Amino acid sequence: MSNQSENTTHFGFKTVQEDTKADLVADVFHSVAAKYDVMNDVLSMGVHRVWKRFTIDCSGIRKGQKVLDLAGGTGDLTAKFSRIVGQTGQVTLADINDSMLKVGRSKLRDLGIVGNVSYVQANAEELPFPDNHFDLITIAFGLRNVTDKDKALASMYRVLKPGGRLLVLEFSKPLYKPLSKFYDFYSFNVLPKLGKLIANDSESYQYLAESIRMHPCQETLKEMMNSANFEGSEYFNLSGGIVALHRGYKY
Amino acid sequence: MPLDKLVCGFLETTVNKLQQLDSSALQRRKQLNGTIIGVALKEINKPLYFVISTQQIDILSEYEGQADCFIRLNISALKELQNNHQLTHLIKTEQLEVEGDIQIVQRFARLLTEMDIDWEEHLSVIIGDILAHKLYYEFKQCRKNASLQIKKIEKQSGEYITEELKIAPGPLEVVYFCEQVNDIKKQVDALEKRLQQGFASSNKLTRNIR
Ligand SMILES: C[S@@+](CC[C@H](N)C(=O)[O-])C[C@H]1O[C@@H](n2cnc3c(N)ncnc32)[C@H](O)[C@@H]1O
Repeated sequence: MSNQSENTTHFGFKTVQEDTKADLVADVFHSVAAKYDVMNDVLSMGVHRVWKRFTIDCSGIRKGQKVLDLAGGTGDLTAKFSRIVGQTGQVTLADINDSMLKVGRSKLRDLGIVGNVSYVQANAEELPFPDNHFDLITIAFGLRNVTDKDKALASMYRVLKPGGRLLVLEFSKPLYKPLSKFYDFYSFNVLPKLGKLIANDSESYQYLAESIRMHPCQETLKEMMNSANFEGSEYFNLSGGIVALHRGYKY
Repeated sequence: MPLDKLVCGFLETTVNKLQQLDSSALQRRKQLNGTIIGVALKEINKPLYFVISTQQIDILSEYEGQADCFIRLNISALKELQNNHQLTHLIKTEQLEVEGDIQIVQRFARLLTEMDIDWEEHLSVIIGDILAHKLYYEFKQCRKNASLQIKKIEKQSGEYITEELKIAPGPLEVVYFCEQVNDIKKQVDALEKRLQQGFASSNKLTRNIR
């Protein structure tokens, strides 16, 4: 692996040139954008809502604060944050993909969420925000799609205010053998079929399953956060480790 | 604690479904837009936070900031909240404690309890006008019948107790009994008078003898 790490990276199980991964990821999300919310509910059997609720509860978010919902996609978290921080606060929904941003923006508009949300097309590796700007950064199911995760973490650290928090919600390593067997079967056999059935796009969901496997496990991600200077890093396993929420502070 | 997340999620969905059906809810939420209210039941001691916006009500199980208003109450007081005049009474009897503006609590209670839901209308969207009207009519009829039945049962069981079991007296029996009691009372009064007169004259007698 080390001999290829210079300029290649993973796209699911495939190894691709670093500069093409972003485009490939973009294709995936362009193609799933319209059906994204439905698929989320179907594929996770609604459980993603509980994971997101847990994330909000761990965020310590308050009225009047500034939040960055990174890789925010269709804006589930943004919607909640917008209501909690209120008119004196500010939520930024950032995503690299303009199809996802568009779907997100029109969804939030329809929900009546206007005034304290702004939409920014941005790459997590090079965030276009000033230093020490946000009280809270969340990245939910986004980090595994990012090509250079260390660079992204460093960039998040830079734009976070001292005293601020980073929350990473991401698929992780199931804690129990039987669970991980079932999970493997589900993600490699059922998931792509469902993807084909509902969104007529099995490849994107094949990619989803593969990218989940290639993502760093709980301890590794915690180490990565520490190396990016985050302090007090910790994680919570959700649904038996299928998903983990990592939390780190900048002091 | 995933359980309280589930409970919160379930509660939030239910509350907002009801809010959507209630035609006056939006106006009431507008009055409270941007308010965060903490609520703790004294028996459970696990606060929930209600974030109210024009869009909906979000329910959080954690909030690290300062809520605009915090209330603690007994489960038994929950029912009384509907009645806005009861609030001061609840506070006096310490079933309800309020930190913050009482007016917010009043509005909040009204938001959650005074729902104005036109079930027939909502039903018709799902199953069509005529069927909805019929169903709703049937439902109301059922309810009317049920309350008639209940009244009848009350009356009948009353008769049963008085006539058949003779546990309780019938109304005429009661009147007759009261009259008898009155008669006896009069007789007792008369007797008392005479006794006093008797005592008085015997006292005179003894004094004269000495
Ligand atoms: C699975 S979605 C998650 C959406 C949302 N956060 C949620 O939880 O529903 C992942 C998102 O990450 C975005 N993304 C991928 N790579 C990114 C990058 N390098 N920078 C910012 N966003 C990226 C994708 O466009 C996509 O919208």
